[in-house]
Amino acid sequence: MEVMMKSRKLLWLVIFAAISLFAAFYLFRNGEAETPQKPLARVSVVDSTKCIAPKEFMRANHMQVLQGWERSVVRDGDRVHIASNGSRFQKSLGTCLGCHNNRLFCYNCHSYANVKPKCWNCHLSPMETP
Amino acid sequence: MSSLADGNTMMNEQRREFIKKTALGVFAGLGAASGLVPAFSLEKTALPVWDEKPVPGKIRWGMLIDTRKCKEGCQQCVAACHHEHNVPAFKNRREEIRWSWKNSYKNVFPTADNAAASKEIQNRTFLSLCNHCADSPCTQICPTGATFKRWDGIVEIDYHRCVGCRFCMPACPYGSLSFNWQDPRTAIVDPVTVYPTRQQGVVEKCNFCSDRLIKGLQPACVEVCPEQALVFGDLNDPASDIRVLLESNVTMQRKPELGTKPSVFYII
Repeated sequence: MEVMMKSRKLLWLVIFAAISLFAAFYLFRNGEAETPQKPLARVSVVDSTKCIAPKEFMRANHMQVLQGWERSVVRDGDRVHIASNGSRFQKSLGTCLGCHNNRLFCYNCHSYANVKPKCWNCHLSPMETP
Repeated sequence: MSSLADGNTMMNEQRREFIKKTALGVFAGLGAASGLVPAFSLEKTALPVWDEKPVPGKIRWGMLIDTRKCKEGCQQCVAACHHEHNVPAFKNRREEIRWSWKNSYKNVFPTADNAAASKEIQNRTFLSLCNHCADSPCTQICPTGATFKRWDGIVEIDYHRCVGCRFCMPACPYGSLSFNWQDPRTAIVDPVTVYPTRQQGVVEKCNFCSDRLIKGLQPACVEVCPEQALVFGDLNDPASDIRVLLESNVTMQRKPELGTKPSVFYII
């Protein structure tokens, strides 16, 4: 009896997963087809394929970097970060999360260190994305 | 003993949440790996049209609303505005959040002499939004500097700094600001991922679509208007469409006698 119940539950779970995956598939395909990417004004300005600073520095100072970005973008409209090697980045959470796209990238460490950053009160957390 | 129990429940809750979120992450990861779900659907890195630091005072954004073209009962501008910016739809008037809305002549121009206004004008609705005043009382009263005048004339609220004191709300003579009494995320009908939400305890208002301007787009209300009744442009540029129209038409501002110098103009 128990085994049957369990297998039935599993079956439902699999069906649910399949349906939601198909739904996501159709949703995104349609979205892509309807909104072709417009060519943007100056494509070469920003290069977000590399890290903005060495890993060790970012590990210790990412909060100051982000706060500095927030300040200069919102208050001064200065949206481009120039790294020490001269490469340019858009000052945006999206720039970080575009590469660090593991959903648990922020969460794992913050959970371990028991820090509760307020970023996700307003900005979309990687955890909440489809 | 009780504190130990509390600790245990807390740990359990934390663990449960972690497992839940991990499962979600794994599921989404699978989707991404199978190519069904795009790997990245967060606020996208938008390439700014202005990649250099802007010169303060060079631009002054303004809007002209031709109310003669504005269709009765059309709410497309308001709907687009609220959709683009994740504005929650609280039904309760006391908790209502609004960035733009339509209102009657009597309410939009309460200090204008409306004794001789025609019946048609009295019955017309007028789009009201933040006026992005050149001499804005809300920015002067804000104790934390959260409401501030931007380099391009836009009056912006820095939600990182807003402490929710609500001084700006009575300071604004146009009632353009709304306070988040509750968590707004619960009432967003169709959330968009490209713009953040607000949190409970901050004041919010129209931002003249500064998020769209950096992408080189017109404000959402201007773009969506089926009658092209809204014109947006730089008030400091004599060749801009809005300046040409301002010079060739009789226009009105809301409560001009207060000296706030609104950047939103109306053709009646």
